[in-house]
Amino acid sequence: MYILAIETSCDDTCGAVLHNDRILSNIISSQINLHSVYGGVVPDIAKRAHQQRLPAIVTLALKRSGKTLKDINLIAATRGPGLGIALSIGFNFAKDLAKTNHIPFVAVNHVEGHLLSVFLKNKNGLPRFTSSFPILGLTVSGGHTKIVLIKAIGNYQVVGETLDDAAGEALDKSAKLLGLGYPGGPVIERIATAGQTDFLKLPRPLQPRRILNFSFSGLKTSFYYQIKDWSATKIASCLSDLSATFQASVFEHLIRKFSLSIDKYHPASLLASGGVLANLTLRRQLRKFAKTKSLPIFFPPQKKLNTDNAAMIALVAFYRFQKDKSINDSKLDINPRLELFQEIQ
Amino acid sequence: MKIIKTTDPNFLIETAAVIKNGGLVIYPSDTVYILAVDPQNPTAVKKLLSFKNRWPGKAVSVAVSDIKMAQNYVKLLPNTRLLYQNLLPGPFTLVSPGLHRMASGIEAENGTLGVRIPNSSTLLSLVKNLGFPITATSANLSGRTPHYSIASFFKTLSQKKLNLIDLIVDAGQLPKNKPSTVIDATEPELKILRRGDLVAAPSQSFLSNSEKETGKIAEFLLEKILKTATFANIVLALSGDLGCGKTVFSRAVGKHLGVSDTITSPTFIIYNQYPIKYLFFKNFFHFDLYRLNTPTDFKDIDFLSHFKKHTLSCIEWPENMGVANLKWLKKNTSYFSINFEYVSPTSRRLTFSF
Repeated sequence: MYILAIETSCDDTCGAVLHNDRILSNIISSQINLHSVYGGVVPDIAKRAHQQRLPAIVTLALKRSGKTLKDINLIAATRGPGLGIALSIGFNFAKDLAKTNHIPFVAVNHVEGHLLSVFLKNKNGLPRFTSSFPILGLTVSGGHTKIVLIKAIGNYQVVGETLDDAAGEALDKSAKLLGLGYPGGPVIERIATAGQTDFLKLPRPLQPRRILNFSFSGLKTSFYYQIKDWSATKIASCLSDLSATFQASVFEHLIRKFSLSIDKYHPASLLASGGVLANLTLRRQLRKFAKTKSLPIFFPPQKKLNTDNAAMIALVAFYRFQKDKSINDSKLDINPRLELFQEIQ
Repeated sequence: MKIIKTTDPNFLIETAAVIKNGGLVIYPSDTVYILAVDPQNPTAVKKLLSFKNRWPGKAVSVAVSDIKMAQNYVKLLPNTRLLYQNLLPGPFTLVSPGLHRMASGIEAENGTLGVRIPNSSTLLSLVKNLGFPITATSANLSGRTPHYSIASFFKTLSQKKLNLIDLIVDAGQLPKNKPSTVIDATEPELKILRRGDLVAAPSQSFLSNSEKETGKIAEFLLEKILKTATFANIVLALSGDLGCGKTVFSRAVGKHLGVSDTITSPTFIIYNQYPIKYLFFKNFFHFDLYRLNTPTDFKDIDFLSHFKKHTLSCIEWPENMGVANLKWLKKNTSYFSINFEYVSPTSRRLTFSF
C-alpha cells in the first residue's frame, strides 16, 4: 500500500510517501531550497511557515515518489507532542486531504515515529535486519529525551525521561554560550572532535542508580557559570576542549541512564534515534556500549531520518493499519502533550 | 448626625434620601471609608470640601455604577474603555477629561475627573439606587491616613467637623486594602498618579538556596499574585540569566496549579500547554521565548492569541518579546515580573515587583 504522511510538530514542514515500509520520497523543508519554490524568503518558525510551505512540500513528495494522490491508500499526520499551532496546520491539512479524496486517515504520535524510524527502509527494501522484542529505545532530540521499553510495536512503556531540558537543547544552548549560534549542536560535534573531554569539572546529574530519568539543566548551568567571565578570546582559544567536555558530559549521562535501564529491563535488542543521533560520536559510543552488553543496537538507516521527518510518521501509520484495517482517526484532534502510552490501545 | 449599620434593612433607602437632600455621608467602600455626597449639588460639594480641608482645584473622585453612567460625565478615550472593561470594578480610579457636569470643586483645575467603579456591592447598589454618581473620596482629612473603622475615624475629628456629617453608615472594620490606584487615562500613554495595593508594594527580594526553596518562593508568590490579580489571565514574566531557576520556578507554579505531568523546558517547541482546574483557571502555559527574536516570529506563533481568560502563563526570556507585545500584555493581563539573579553556585536571588 501507499502512504502519504505529513509532519509539522515544530519548525520543519515534512512530507513523505512510502510503499509499505519503503521510502519513496521524504521531503524536509530545511533540507531543500525553498527559495527556488517561492522565489523569496520563507519564515522559519511555526504557523505561517507551515501554512506557506505545506502544499508545495506535499506536491514535491508525491512528485518525487512517482505517485499521484489517486495511488495513495492511507494518509497520516503527526497528532502530537509538539507546538500546538504548528501541529494543527499539518494535521488539519492531512485530515482535509483524506476527507476530500475518501482516503483513511491515521493520527500518529511523533515520539513513536522517532522510535520506529530505525525500521524504515529505502525503496529497495534495505537495510534488512531482524530485531527481537522487547527493545529498549533511546530517543534523543532537541525536544525529547526518553528511554522507552518497546514490548511490541504499539506497546510502549516510558521508563525514563528528562526532568528539565532535552539533551539536544542542552547541546544547542552550550553552543550558544560558546558563541557558535543557535541551534549549534551539530557545530559542537564538529569542533569537539579535536578536544579534550576533561577540560572542566562538570556535575554528574541524578547520581542514584534507581533513577532512570535525565536532567541536563544542572550541566548547562555549571558549564555557563564556569566560563561566564571568560573573555571571548579565551573561550575561542579552547573552544574545542570546551565543546568536547560539555558534549562528553551529556553523552555520559545519556549512556549511564540507558545502561541502568538495560540492567533493569533486560531487553533483547536496543535502538537509538532522534536528532542528536546524527552525532557520530554518540553513535560510536552507543555502538561500543551495546557491544559490552552483548546486545544489537539499531539506528535510523539514513542521516535525514534522525531529525523530524514524515517518513517515520508514515511508517507508524502503516503498522497501525496492518493491525487494524478499519482504522480511521478523522474524528481526532491534535494533542500538543500527547503521551506515548496513549498509543497502546 | 445619625449612625446606621449596614445590617439595617433600610440603610440604602435612608442613605439615598440623605444624599439626595445634599447631605454628607460616611460610607464603606471596597477600600476605605469614603465621604459620599451628590457631586452635582454645589451646597453638598462645599460641605464636603470644608470637611476635608481640601483646597479648591484639587479633584475629588466619583463612584459610578457602570461605564454607561461614566460616559455622562467624562470623555472616554478608546484605550480607557478597555481599562474600564478590564480593571473595573476594582480598586482603581481612572482620570479622564471631564464633561463639566459636576459642581465646582469636583473636577480638577485642568477639567479632568477621576472615576471609580468600586468592587463593593454596598456602594454599587447605592449608586444604582440613586441613578447618579456620588463622591468617593476617602474619609480622612487631606494629608492624613485613611480609615478602616468608624471608631478610628471619630478619634481624629473635632466637634465642628462632626457637625458637618449627616449620616454614618457603619460596616464595622473594613479589610485593610489600600486606597485605589489612580491612573491618568487622559492620554494614550497611561500614568500611575497614586499607587494602591495592586500596583504598589515595593519590590520584594527572596534568596533561594536550593531548587526546593525556589519552588517554595514560587508557591508563595503565586498565592500572593492570585489574591491581587485583577484580570482572569495572569502572566508571570521570568527574566534572568541562563541557569537561574526560571524553569524550576515555572515547574513549581505548574505543580501548585495541579499539573501532574513532568514540566520540562519548552525551549524547542516554544511553549507547552497544560490543562488545569484551579480556581477559574483552565490552562497553564509555559513559554520559553529563547529561540524567538523578530516580531515576525511572534506573529507566526500567534503569540498574543494565547493570553485568553482563565489562563496562567509563565514566560521565560520575556525580554525577547519586544515592546509592542509587552505593552499589550501589560494592558490586557495581570502582568508580574520576577527577576532571577545568580548569587553563587547554590544560591539565587528572586526579585518580585508588581
